[in-house]
Amino acid sequence: MDEPSSRAFLASPRAPTARGEGEGHAQGAQVGAAPHPRPLPARREREQDGVVFELRRACAGYDGRPVLIDIDLTVRAGEHVAVMGRSGAGKSTLLGLLYAQRPHDVALVPQASALVKPLSVFHNVYIGRLDRHSTAYNLRTLVWPAASEVAEVRGVLASVDLEVEIFKAAGALSGGQQQRTSVARALYNGRPTLVGDEPVSALDRIQGSEILALLKSRHETLVLALHDVHHALEHADRVVVLEQGRKIIDEPVGALTANDLLRHFGGEP
Amino acid sequence: MKRLAFGNTSLLFLLSALACLTVADIAVTALNPWGEMLRLLRGVLRPDFLSVEAWSVVWTVAFAVVGVAIGATAGLPLAILFPRFAGVRLAAVVLRSIHELFWALMLIQVFGLGPATGVLAIAIPYAGIFAKVFAEIIEEADLAAERVLPAGTTAVSAFAFARLPEVAGRFKTYTLYRLECGLRSTLVLGFIGLPTVGFHLEGYFKQGRYAEAAALLAVFYVLIGTRRLWARPTTVPILLVASLLLLPEAVGGGSALANLVRFITHDIVPAPLRGGDLGSLATWGAFAGWLQPIAWNQVLPGAWNTLVLAQIALVGMGTLALLLFPLVSRRFMGRVGQPAGRLLLVVMRSTPEYMLAYVLLQLLGPSMLPAILALTVHNGAIVGYLMGRHADALDYRADAPKGLNLYAYDTTPRLYGQFLAYNLYRWEIIVRESAIFGILGVATLGYHVDAAISELRFDVAVVLILATVAVCALIDILSRRLRKALRLSTLATRLADAPA
Amino acid sequence: MLTTVKRSILALAAMSALTAGYALAQQATLVFTAIPDEDETRLVERFTQYAKYFEGKLGVPVKYLPVKSYPAAVTAFTNNQVQFAWFGGLTGVQARLAVPGSQALAQGEEDQQFKSYFIAHVSTGLKLSQEFPKGIEGKTFTFGARASTSGRLFPEHFIRQAMGKDPEKVFARIGYSGDHSRTIQLVQSGAYQVGVLNHLVWEQEVKSGKVDTKAVSVIWETPTYPDYHWVARGDIDTSFGSGFMGRLQAAILAVDDPKLLAIFDRKRFIPANNDDYKVIEDVGKVTGLIN
Repeated sequence: MDEPSSRAFLASPRAPTARGEGEGHAQGAQVGAAPHPRPLPARREREQDGVVFELRRACAGYDGRPVLIDIDLTVRAGEHVAVMGRSGAGKSTLLGLLYAQRPHDVALVPQASALVKPLSVFHNVYIGRLDRHSTAYNLRTLVWPAASEVAEVRGVLASVDLEVEIFKAAGALSGGQQQRTSVARALYNGRPTLVGDEPVSALDRIQGSEILALLKSRHETLVLALHDVHHALEHADRVVVLEQGRKIIDEPVGALTANDLLRHFGGEP
Repeated sequence: MKRLAFGNTSLLFLLSALACLTVADIAVTALNPWGEMLRLLRGVLRPDFLSVEAWSVVWTVAFAVVGVAIGATAGLPLAILFPRFAGVRLAAVVLRSIHELFWALMLIQVFGLGPATGVLAIAIPYAGIFAKVFAEIIEEADLAAERVLPAGTTAVSAFAFARLPEVAGRFKTYTLYRLECGLRSTLVLGFIGLPTVGFHLEGYFKQGRYAEAAALLAVFYVLIGTRRLWARPTTVPILLVASLLLLPEAVGGGSALANLVRFITHDIVPAPLRGGDLGSLATWGAFAGWLQPIAWNQVLPGAWNTLVLAQIALVGMGTLALLLFPLVSRRFMGRVGQPAGRLLLVVMRSTPEYMLAYVLLQLLGPSMLPAILALTVHNGAIVGYLMGRHADALDYRADAPKGLNLYAYDTTPRLYGQFLAYNLYRWEIIVRESAIFGILGVATLGYHVDAAISELRFDVAVVLILATVAVCALIDILSRRLRKALRLSTLATRLADAPA
Repeated sequence: MLTTVKRSILALAAMSALTAGYALAQQATLVFTAIPDEDETRLVERFTQYAKYFEGKLGVPVKYLPVKSYPAAVTAFTNNQVQFAWFGGLTGVQARLAVPGSQALAQGEEDQQFKSYFIAHVSTGLKLSQEFPKGIEGKTFTFGARASTSGRLFPEHFIRQAMGKDPEKVFARIGYSGDHSRTIQLVQSGAYQVGVLNHLVWEQEVKSGKVDTKAVSVIWETPTYPDYHWVARGDIDTSFGSGFMGRLQAAILAVDDPKLLAIFDRKRFIPANNDDYKVIEDVGKVTGLIN
């Protein structure tokens, strides 16, 4: 079973309106307040500015309990944003709101890997491009994948060091391997913006670092919930810290030290 | 609903069953059953295997395989629509609330006594069961992956990649398990004339030719006991093709279409409405005059008797299951005793309730009692078997007590919620199964259906069958509410879901 | 999901086409059945001898369709699954009412003067009597099959006549054993105190030693009535050529092989017509078994 918080994050990515809910609660919560109190600028206008995501005074809640309060956040193309905070601070809900803004441009790495466990690693990665093929081709691939498709997926898997496991059932993999499969799925999806909820939480620091570098090299814009301060400082260019639903820090990495961050949440030194 | 305690609920059911016992039609009147019983025993001890007709065994398997396959195939799309449309849910309730026996009796009117009737009599109610169970399996599945599919994925691709693989394994297990039920259902088809094992079994039984009957029953037990060996995912395609090829040939036959038209536009139309002026008040007055005695003399007492019978049998089943389950648990019986216990319970649950009731009728005389005991034994063995599997799946602490102490202080209290879940789930099944005892003279709804069909009054039969649907639906709702109130909704309720 | 729906529809369509195809292909075969009123085992074996006999006499392929119950026999006739059948008095009338134009062709010699025996368990103390045994009131009682003439219809009629009320009100409990042999079994074991059955079956079972006459005995013989007969569908000539019904009747009347006659436990078959069974229709209406 995946954790409830990932369910919150994944509540309804294909629905255009955001659905937030408190971390640690079961799915099916309702959004307490509208995430966009003021109308957003027209999409064209924003794209000219290079704006990928924009939240203004966004709120979300669960059962009347606020989870996000008055969040203002603008993410521009090319930015690498790390979202940090204690468990329950509202990170997953925030990422959910961002994803809901433009699901068609976002590749997603959910918190629990959210794999189809009885399917092979190959098929789980292929799922990243289901929208780009006809239904008939997808069904065919389920039963008898084309050699070219396998070759391409194999290439992606090689980059996360899972090439050998390509035809293993995803459920038979270790937690770390499952997480890398989930990353490979996002890489294979290939959309310019990556939203990742703790995408390397099950990996050691060095392996995690390699994966984050890989994600940076393949995606233009990144918004990643991270719990490792060193990863954030090494790979992000901007850090947002949430505490009890409020944004308390939003600074370029250059302006922060590890201790600044550790003071606000209990990450490991 | 307020949270009910397990103990209170059990007490409530126990008291209601006791109350039912005081009003139930129960009597022991047989005067000299021993002659017949002795002959029965002699037959059982010396089964005549040479008399077993091989084709009837082949056809038993063929009807079960094809019927279950069609039922599962039709049940899948219904299951997908199930959570979205109330109409589909209602249709599924109606399909599965009507006993195979009644489906067969109605289908004979259209397709005659032939393979189509046999296959559909299984496939139709099973489609309703599959729709419900598949929908439950889909609902319980881990669908995290569906929520990360790239935006723009078509519904079919989403289903095939994110849902189907998660549920396919359980679909497979359940469908193969259902084959066992299918085999049991073919017996009923035999009772009405299709050439399955049931056909000969009933004949031998009626004539008191117990040696032949015992041989057939033994073959049937083996068929059910070895189901896991011959019905596997790898053998299913072969079984299916072979079954389709080997189904008995249809003998004679008018036009099914003409029969269907006659059945729908004449036979099941209430007699006063046939050819009557539907605009005239007199027609509807006659209709009310027709319906009223059916409702008062058949539906109400029939439904009452059905519920009384089911209530007593339900509590009987639970009690028996609690007594029996240690027999199939390795923890209680050890490596040697457990297989013997299993064998006993397979025999108990595979013996057709109808046969059991008939033997008991000879022993105890005519009343509700034979039917109650037959239902108790059959269902008690099923629930006992499931509980035994759960008992072995529990983690026991190293210093756990043994024997009766383990039973009373550890296993039974820990399994009690699961036990209640099974009991409540089988409540509706017992109500449905009680239909077949009508033929033995217990005045349940099934008794009146049997009468209506003997008099070729299908319009009356349809009213009565709809009444059984309503009773089943009522029990289903009540059972679901209770399970919810007792917070048992997430526990296993089906044979296929019990721990291996 | 749509494809699955389509596939199931196609499969169902294919199946009904198959069934219809069967029906067409089989139409040239003459099929008959018989109500299963006693020993149901070896039904196929016994009646296949008749199929062979008719095949030789009529020159068309003939098959026997085994059925398990009285209404199933009538249904097979109504559906034209069988073109002629050996019915009881009541089932024959039911069948002819359901298929207008059908004809009673022949009956056994014994069927003109058929009767039922009321039997009782020894513990009831009831003895053979000339008059209707009014002492059966308050006992438990089993009929045979619900649609049986000798096991239900006439016995019920005589009970109503003698007692002036419904059988439900006469007896402590009523059962329907399903067939005549089983009625003997149930009364012999004491499961029911009193029962009623076809006199021929009783005599046959006594002769073959299956009855424990110390436990169960006859307490009353009913007046006589017409019973079993052969009935053919009215459209049998259209299907098998004009004059076929006459040839079929002749073939039935010509049965003289004792082995064949023994299957029905009759001395010989004699001609019958629908009017012979008018009394059954009347009694059926009075007892409410026929609309």
